[in-house]
Amino acid sequence: MSKTNSIFDFLEAGIRAESLRQKAIANNIANLETSGYRRIDVKFEELLAKALNSSGSVDLSELEPQIHQPLQTPVNSNGNDVSLESEVGQMVKNTLRYKAYIRLLNKKYNQMELAMNIK
Amino acid sequence: MEVNNTFSPIDIATSGLRAHSKQIEVISSNIANARTTDVGNGMPYRRLDAAFKAEDDEIGGVNLDKIFPDMSDFHRIFDPGNPNADEKGYVLMPNVNVPIEMMNLTVATRAYQANAAILKRYQQMVETTLELLK
Repeated sequence: MSKTNSIFDFLEAGIRAESLRQKAIANNIANLETSGYRRIDVKFEELLAKALNSSGSVDLSELEPQIHQPLQTPVNSNGNDVSLESEVGQMVKNTLRYKAYIRLLNKKYNQMELAMNIK
Repeated sequence: MEVNNTFSPIDIATSGLRAHSKQIEVISSNIANARTTDVGNGMPYRRLDAAFKAEDDEIGGVNLDKIFPDMSDFHRIFDPGNPNADEKGYVLMPNVNVPIEMMNLTVATRAYQANAAILKRYQQMVETTLELLK
């Protein structure tokens, strides 16, 4: 049976992706000085866009964000390619998106509560 | 559907932070080697300089494009006791001027701070927008 996605499904998928990305960033920062470590990132937006483009409906709860190594940033003498500045920038962006999703979710719950309180 | 993952002021500020921290790295190398008379080939340390390059010809970040040697003349000091001294007792010293490096360090530090300020201010701006969702 095809399933239509509600706002909740979208928000939940987004929150899942962002919290995984937060973990990935924390991991990168923890390995700032680990020799040979290459930074990891989370692929989600591309997967979501691809899934929404393909015909038919998508089950968002099955759309898992994926961890991958971009291997694009320059490597230092240590064989490590993590830059603290980039990770902090990523983290700020990530936090802002996460906050937006949580606020929207909250808004949605408030709407439901409002509807339930009508007497 | 296109994926646009940019939050551009944050990315631009991040590129500025990275470029300036690299520049501070270059300056520290110059200061650390301000009195290095031998870099392995018998020549004194040659001061390094850094050149920035815009990432795009439109709005975009900055990159530290090149680190290149400063080809100005080495200083010569009279120090006959030095093992690297020539027959007249002169030693070639690096072409590093510590006061100039300190000045560059101040400039680079300020630039780093300015980029960090942009990052923080933009974060606050987006948070202001997010407040509207409360």
